[in-house]
Amino acid sequence: MQDDYLVARNPLLLAATCAIGFFLSAPLLILVIESFTAENHLGFPPAAFGLRWYRHIIQPGSWLETAGRSVLVAAIVAPLAVATGTMAALAIERGPARWRSTLYTLLISPMILPHVVLALGFFRLVLMLNADDSYAAICVAHLIISVPYIVITVSASLQSLDRSLEEAALNLGASEWRAFLHVILPALIPGLVAGAVFAFIESFDEFIITFFITTFRLTLPIQIFNSLAYQLDPSVAAVSSAALAMTMLLTVCLLLRGQLVAAGRIVR
Amino acid sequence: MIINAEPSRRAWWLLAPAGLIYSAAFLMPLALVVIYSFARFKGGVTEFGFFLDNYRSAISDGFVLPVLWQTMRLALFVTLACLVLGIPIAVQLRRCRPRARLLLMFLIVSPILTSVIVRNVSFLLILGKFGLINQALQWLGIVSAPVQLLYNRFAVIVGVVHVYLPFMALPAYASMSAIDPRMEESAANLGASRLRVFLSVTLPLSLPGIIAGATIVFILAMGIYVTPVIMGGGFVVTTPMIISDLVRNQYNWAQGAAISVLLLAVIGVLMAGLSRIRLRHAR
Repeated sequence: MQDDYLVARNPLLLAATCAIGFFLSAPLLILVIESFTAENHLGFPPAAFGLRWYRHIIQPGSWLETAGRSVLVAAIVAPLAVATGTMAALAIERGPARWRSTLYTLLISPMILPHVVLALGFFRLVLMLNADDSYAAICVAHLIISVPYIVITVSASLQSLDRSLEEAALNLGASEWRAFLHVILPALIPGLVAGAVFAFIESFDEFIITFFITTFRLTLPIQIFNSLAYQLDPSVAAVSSAALAMTMLLTVCLLLRGQLVAAGRIVR
Repeated sequence: MIINAEPSRRAWWLLAPAGLIYSAAFLMPLALVVIYSFARFKGGVTEFGFFLDNYRSAISDGFVLPVLWQTMRLALFVTLACLVLGIPIAVQLRRCRPRARLLLMFLIVSPILTSVIVRNVSFLLILGKFGLINQALQWLGIVSAPVQLLYNRFAVIVGVVHVYLPFMALPAYASMSAIDPRMEESAANLGASRLRVFLSVTLPLSLPGIIAGATIVFILAMGIYVTPVIMGGGFVVTTPMIISDLVRNQYNWAQGAAISVLLLAVIGVLMAGLSRIRLRHAR
């Protein structure tokens, strides 16, 4: 039912979109291409290709430890964030309307606040508790970054959920818990999967708070950042490409499941 | 019915985990920032109380305020660039066929899902002295020696726009897709040119989403740290960089906290102002 006016071709607009798409994707493509260089320096195009730098980064003692730590933290944070965010979204959507918008704003505000300010305060708190450089502190910091995303996606799915289904289940004698398990939860699952992927990636990429609270227990983004202070050698490109490959793989999974729209909703 | 009726007690315990996390990592840290901003830092010791020393020195030292102003200007440039690049994308998203829309959506959303650091590294490879653009320029014979593209404000803006473009394009698309195409059609049938239709029908109707996107981009850009450090190479200083330096290198928490409060205040004022504009448009 799309009408002619919108579908009519507009070469200028198409060219502009292609240019912007190129701007968005080209840097990452070039990063990946250069990471396969067999030379000692980065340069485009590489004179010879090889897996040399990928072999280099999987040697023990270089990048594996931090990469493993980043994956571990993200794997802990994602399910916790999904659980916390879903519960909070249920509470505000099903709770009294009076508090809804205040609570919602409060819950999503860590997304907008400059993270440096949060990092300062959280670092102070963590130092008081003698918990700097601890997994617990890193996980809590990553939770505060990723829970808002879950709250947004889950509240949006709850709002689009037909309330009468839930009421029917309750009227037919189901307990609230049973109604949640058999009626609400199945409808939320796609959104929860998307949310979990988002939370995983947010945690995997988080920089500034972790940068403040860690000195020895670094995560991958921080090790990459620190290595930039010396020189940009091809191993950084290889590590970055590997990290990129992982997040892209997850994004493509979302895309294939048709849930990128849910992800897009996050920034609305 | 049961759920609809009274605010059930169930609703509140569901907030418990979030409450725990938000108090530990959001409310308490913010409270500490405020408390420290009124403390006094002398000879390596922080003395608590209600002192305005930090605010006074932040305003009078001739460094903090200019940097805050620079940060706002940087954020403004980023927002303008996002507007210029984001609106065509939103228009195109609305026009494309579903398959093409999915591809475009992927291109737009993927920056949110890739690490800022990874993207900055990729820009180092492109804009660097021996990067792609310099090599291409030299190969084409346009320049004889590498041009300095990195480590200036331009590089930082490019890097930040790459990160925040989706936050502009998606809200703009959201409000554009809600416009009834028949409005534009009738304007066109009445003889308006394409540009005229866009300027006097499409654009005004999508203004709420565009303003929302611009607000978010501006606010996020006020808080940038990573990109100016990596791509500014010390030549671009933002307020978050001062805060980080004060805390991590000089242990002057009090001063860092006061500048944080100033940054939050600026953001709060801007948000209030912009939401008032948005409300006026919604009417």
